[in-house]
Amino acid sequence: MFKRILLSTAVLLSTTTAPIWADDWSNTVAEAKGQTVYFHAWGGDENINDYIQWAINRVEEDYGVSVQHVKNVAPNAVNQILSEKTAGNDSDGAVDLMWVNGENFANMKSNGLLYGAFTQMLPNYDLVDTENKPTTLYDFTTPVDNLEAPWGMAQLVFMHDSEVVDNPPSSAEELLQFAKNNPGRFTYPAPPAFHGTTFVKQVLLELTDNNDALYKPVGLADFDAITEPLWEYLDELHPIMWRKGEVFTDGAPRMKQLLNDGEILISLSFNPFEASNSIANGELPESVRTHIHDSGTIANTHFVAIPYNSGSPEGAMVFANFLMSPEAQARKANTDIWGDPTVLAMNKLSSADRALFDRLPEGIATLSNEELANVLLEPHASWVEAIEKAWLERYSQ
Amino acid sequence: MSDVNTYTRAGPVRFWPALLSLVPWLTAAVFLLPVVVGLVGTWLPAFGYFPALGSDTLSLSAWQQWFSYPGVASATLNTLISGLGAAMLSLSLLLLILIGLYPSALFRRIERALSPILSVPHAAFAIGLGFLIAPSGWLIRLINGLTGAFESPPLWVSFQDSHGFSLALTLALKELPFLLFMSLAVLPSLKVQKTLWLMRSMSFSKRAAWFWILWPQLYRQIKLPFFAVIAYSLTVVDIALIAGPTTPPTMAVLITQLFNDPDLSRRMVGAAGATALFFGLISVLLLAHLSERPLATLRNYVLRCGRKQKRHLEPERPIAAILVSAVGLFYLLGAGVTVLWSFSHRWRYPDWLPESFALRSWSRVTARIDDPFWITLLLATSASLIAIVLVILALENEVRLKQQNRPVNTRRLLWLLYLPLLIPQVAFIFGFQVSLIGLRWDGTFPALLWSHLVFVLPYVFLTLSGPYRRFDERYAWVARTLASGPLSAYWRVKFPMLMRAILYAFATGFSVSIAQYLPTLFVGAGKYATLTTEAVAMATGSDRRMMAVMALWQQLLPLLIFALATLIPAYYFRNRREMKQS
Repeated sequence: MFKRILLSTAVLLSTTTAPIWADDWSNTVAEAKGQTVYFHAWGGDENINDYIQWAINRVEEDYGVSVQHVKNVAPNAVNQILSEKTAGNDSDGAVDLMWVNGENFANMKSNGLLYGAFTQMLPNYDLVDTENKPTTLYDFTTPVDNLEAPWGMAQLVFMHDSEVVDNPPSSAEELLQFAKNNPGRFTYPAPPAFHGTTFVKQVLLELTDNNDALYKPVGLADFDAITEPLWEYLDELHPIMWRKGEVFTDGAPRMKQLLNDGEILISLSFNPFEASNSIANGELPESVRTHIHDSGTIANTHFVAIPYNSGSPEGAMVFANFLMSPEAQARKANTDIWGDPTVLAMNKLSSADRALFDRLPEGIATLSNEELANVLLEPHASWVEAIEKAWLERYSQ
Repeated sequence: MSDVNTYTRAGPVRFWPALLSLVPWLTAAVFLLPVVVGLVGTWLPAFGYFPALGSDTLSLSAWQQWFSYPGVASATLNTLISGLGAAMLSLSLLLLILIGLYPSALFRRIERALSPILSVPHAAFAIGLGFLIAPSGWLIRLINGLTGAFESPPLWVSFQDSHGFSLALTLALKELPFLLFMSLAVLPSLKVQKTLWLMRSMSFSKRAAWFWILWPQLYRQIKLPFFAVIAYSLTVVDIALIAGPTTPPTMAVLITQLFNDPDLSRRMVGAAGATALFFGLISVLLLAHLSERPLATLRNYVLRCGRKQKRHLEPERPIAAILVSAVGLFYLLGAGVTVLWSFSHRWRYPDWLPESFALRSWSRVTARIDDPFWITLLLATSASLIAIVLVILALENEVRLKQQNRPVNTRRLLWLLYLPLLIPQVAFIFGFQVSLIGLRWDGTFPALLWSHLVFVLPYVFLTLSGPYRRFDERYAWVARTLASGPLSAYWRVKFPMLMRAILYAFATGFSVSIAQYLPTLFVGAGKYATLTTEAVAMATGSDRRMMAVMALWQQLLPLLIFALATLIPAYYFRNRREMKQS
């Protein structure tokens, strides 16, 4: 009896405290309370895992939303959603929020596996630098259409050990010369691993001088003619690569190990802060530095998206909104914690929030903002598949 | 009075046989269901039926795409080289070790070292081996430290070659202890020493005795484990990612890549590939099975020709001793390197010891490991307990049938239990997942437990059935005449006598459960983190120190259970000389 009175008082209180003028967002926040959100995100980096755990604790405290980090790669999460769609579970899937971008996003979008436009409802979305960071609106040229919330910025950078390499190559041509001078000491991940595909696209953009055709659907272009210099380049590069180009790595993490092992002299990353971060945590020697090519390097954005059949979309939105908050973004940009560039526009922040970013440590091996400002846009998404297919046909037989 | 008497006697007697005779059928049904449902669920997309992607007409286009996919022919070749190479290599090494060292003091030492070796997780072993023999590996670093040679890593390909040879070696070294373990249960029944004496008196060499007489008998008894080794080697993904070729990779890795391709329609091509792999594997196993009879005929012919072999040197003994020491050393160094990595802070080439040490990786993992730890323990314990009970009941049913002089027709039925071991996991796990989601059972603990049992049960059966079937039933009869009832007789005599075998089977099932990754992820819908899902997540990153800590955590539980399986009988039988291990 006593319990029941307590309960009804609580209900009464909670209904009376909710303001009558509640807008959509506070409704969402109220809905979200008590929900459990399964956040599927790659779990291979303990710094990132720690950061996600911090965000989870904050959202639990502030909003009463319980988030579980499922350490899972995007393709597996997509498989889970596909299986659910096949079996007809359209309302309470196992994935509530997932870390995604690029082709995975494009394919989920075209197959109707996404929840719908939601980022326009998130208060912190207004702080995103959509004007100067076009990749927050176009994910690998696919219109985002508010289907995924920007989480962090990425740019292809190279890492080298300054003790061994004096003048890191500043273009694809120089890289080839570098490989000739140091046989067996360069490699890149095999496409379709996305670090590998990005490297191949980078070389293509450089060799074709940003040919306009690359930004239109591949079907409209003369694929063979445009990509010819790329294959000539790779034909020359592969025999002088690590393991004579007969074995490739499966991604940037393995490249980083090989750099530390001295088996290769140049590695690559999508995170401009990675070198500083890895030096700080002991994964790379202190002499490692970052460099990019003079023509600029491919940049893009990574996002979080809600699947079409999430049973806790409100909770997922609350968490996505928190991930875009100045507090969370500033902490994420700290190289001592993660070191992932922010998606926010500094001029949209309050001075107090801006100060959070000003106080961040720079990191010993990070390039300056001016140097990093040199950015190439991703080619049209249809080029990815065509390039991967052609690459596999040539080099994976 | 007599009525009461018949009632009390007949009651339990009628109840138990009925239950026992049901067990094999029930077990087979419950454990075949996921496989059958899963296979169908994979075959449908392979033939173009995938409504979630808007494809609901049957077609062969996925098959055409599979066979025209870049590198499929080489991938098939790589698979055969690495898979069959590994299976043949591990079998040959087993034979070599037996000829050279069984029975001997060294062999008894091998027996004792087997449990810790078996508890090494596959991926951890591959990573450790890679870190030993790679061009920037520990051995080269050691040479550098001693002689100053190799200032930078040599440009050799000593690990992860493009044809799958190093993959075959890695798999063989990992499968050899398993085959040895399976042989241990059979060897006592072969009367090896007596055969050797007899053959020697007929002036046959030890090699000839093993090769022509003992080996065929042994092979017949470890055929199923060997088939499981073939299946595993041809379909393994995690080790192939670490030690295997890349352009193209092995079939199983290629299929996994297709299932993970952002282009969702590739999943149908992957399903066709998985089906192709399934039928390829079945053909290989069938071929192995069918070649037995011709080989036996050949053997009889050779033996009948009876050309007496000259007495010659027996090089097998030193070779086997060196081989065993080398394998043992690899395992030991691999474990040592893993421990070193787990405590290191910065460790780069050419240092053969870390530049600086730290406890940070351990403290980071330990802060978050409790939930996965308890889930793993609960899952592995319940799965292996259930499996032990079911297997004992099935085997007791065999005993009952034998006593009634009825043909043991359930043996053939129980063969089906091994199906999950002989089918590539990728070929049916997705189909199984879809059916579970359809029933809304996915992401529940019982479903997860069921999926683990599908793999735990066959291994428990594999480990326990040999010793169990060899048990001398006359002990049980005597016990029954002395004890108050069959159950009490079982508990007081048969169970203790079989305790060692039962505990070993439990430990095997336990480590099989711990190793499950795909079922845990897909049937558990990502809601149950285990030590293995955490370890695999860490292995997708670059931090070797964290990987090392996770690998050690993953190894800890099986190691403990295997240790208990050895210590409990030793303690229990501390005053029974005849029950101590041979």
